[in-house]
Amino acid sequence: MSAKMKISLWLSGILFLVAMAAWLYQLREGLVLTNLQNSYSWGLYISGLAFFVGNAAGGLVLSSSIYLFGAKKLKPLAKLGALTAFANVTAAMLIVLPDIGQPVRLYNMLLHPNFTSPLVWDVIVLNLYAVASAVYLYILMLPDLTGPLSRFAVKVQNPAEFSEKWAKRIAPVALLFAIGIHVVTAWIFSTQGARDWWHSPAMAPDFVAVAIGVGTAVVLLAGAIAYGTGEKFQEAYRTLALIIFVTTGIHLFLMMNDLVIHAWYGNAETHRIMEIAWGDFAWAHIFEVVAPLTGAWLLLQDGVRRSLPRLAGSAGLLIAGVFVHRFLIMPAAYNNLPMTMVPLGLPDSHWSLPVASGRFFPGMGTFVEHYAYAPSFIEVVILLGIMAYAVFLVLLAIAKLPILAREAS
Amino acid sequence: MKMGMVIDLEKCIGCRSCMVACKQHNAQPPGTWWNRVFTPGSHHHLTPPARGVEFFLPVHCQHCENAPCEKVCPVGATYHAPDGAVLIDFERCIGCRYCMAACPYGVRQFNWESPEKAHQRAQYQENYHYGYPADHRKEGRLVYTPLRPKGVVEKCTFCAQYRDKGEPPACVQGCPGKARIVGDLDDPNSEVRRLIRERNAFQLLPEKGTKPTVYYLPPKPKEI
Repeated sequence: MSAKMKISLWLSGILFLVAMAAWLYQLREGLVLTNLQNSYSWGLYISGLAFFVGNAAGGLVLSSSIYLFGAKKLKPLAKLGALTAFANVTAAMLIVLPDIGQPVRLYNMLLHPNFTSPLVWDVIVLNLYAVASAVYLYILMLPDLTGPLSRFAVKVQNPAEFSEKWAKRIAPVALLFAIGIHVVTAWIFSTQGARDWWHSPAMAPDFVAVAIGVGTAVVLLAGAIAYGTGEKFQEAYRTLALIIFVTTGIHLFLMMNDLVIHAWYGNAETHRIMEIAWGDFAWAHIFEVVAPLTGAWLLLQDGVRRSLPRLAGSAGLLIAGVFVHRFLIMPAAYNNLPMTMVPLGLPDSHWSLPVASGRFFPGMGTFVEHYAYAPSFIEVVILLGIMAYAVFLVLLAIAKLPILAREAS
Repeated sequence: MKMGMVIDLEKCIGCRSCMVACKQHNAQPPGTWWNRVFTPGSHHHLTPPARGVEFFLPVHCQHCENAPCEKVCPVGATYHAPDGAVLIDFERCIGCRYCMAACPYGVRQFNWESPEKAHQRAQYQENYHYGYPADHRKEGRLVYTPLRPKGVVEKCTFCAQYRDKGEPPACVQGCPGKARIVGDLDDPNSEVRRLIRERNAFQLLPEKGTKPTVYYLPPKPKEI
């Protein structure tokens, strides 16, 4: 193990442990340690769920490109794809835990699942995808499970042939679950008629598009760090960059399409949404558009893909833009109170009913109409810790398991 | 039997007695209000938004027939009691707050910390206990407890603990204007059904399709 690898493992491992400690502290005190309150009841953690779910799409892109569309040159990246998918989908499940007020009672999801709840669907499909990614990764690694690792290998006549055959069989199933996690995660929000910002049929296809873009960027980034930016991988990287650019374009189209429709009709609710999306959060909104577009465009350039710092910077820019996009799921939903009315006798006025905050903030009234949410320190620490968990898992697997193609290393 | 409530906005004087009765009887922690009364169109309660336009709007759980909060609850902690009231099982709720995203009326409230700590933070007098003192179970499910576990969601129960004894909810008992009437919506001859029919009752956010069982009777324009 290289010194760099050791340091990275230690750093990410410690950050993850710090986050776990922060979570235990939050468990003791309650979610009062977050900056959430009743009128704005989901924040950074649930944005984190959407973010990690999106990042997990890399496995899907690789497996389907290789086994459904025959892009053989991507093969050395297949295991990295499945690995980043597993790391991110488990991170997605982990980041939900600190958002839960009574996580000890989660067994009720098994004892009394309510199948009309999209959250139940999401838990099912996230678990299926995690299992499928792990099995797929195992099948791909099988021919390389030799030496001390051979005790983990199932005994088959010809491991290489077995691996090839089963990878091909699992790929379409994994593809189904992979599309499923994005669609169902989008449905958590878009089924909610109470929140005009979410209640859009464009959300599920948009989640798929943005996920394929950012998930592929995660694999490209991991691949470039693991294998370098030598000539040998340029063709594979170019294919990935193309996928990233096209899906980022589709994502921006779907998003803008939604905004135009919201803005055009111009009733009071959508007017309020526009005020929040373009007013309070104008800079964040500009960033969520410009950063992924710039990142994806830069990755299309040959020169960028041949330099690790430039490739990492561009992929990082895209991922950061998508992160801000995920953060912006909440403000226009929660700061646009659904309980509004045109008071009798005042046809020109549009009035929203303030919500009891449930929190004691000095300087803030009990009833709120608008709340400037910014995550608390503990929310940020826990989110960073879960990101560190994903990094730690990927690095540890690369160090201990035959993830990287032998001929390349 | 389908429990329903009619609120006569002509009789409501905006005194907020129902808010206080509700808060006290149901032992709501500081910052939590199951029942809110506001002056529509105005940022200040009891301050008319325009001359002659003055009415008040009490809002609490609308006990919807098509309740999005019930449909999104992953563990079935929010459920419809046989009489039509929407209740929360405090022993089953996992605190995911999906119902708070789903409810268009903003009536669902979370226990961000334990009630004892919240009392301290808000500097309530020590050893001051308020509210119905005993746990209340319906079909074995804990639908009321004076000290809520931290990390669960709560809201108006139509005062399950009183109704099961045959008494009306605290807001109905506490209203000095007798603006609130409860009754059986399934019975076409009940007082609530009659008032709904004869007084052009309306519901809140009917366009959301939630089918509330709380109805409002419009006020007459004020004489000035």
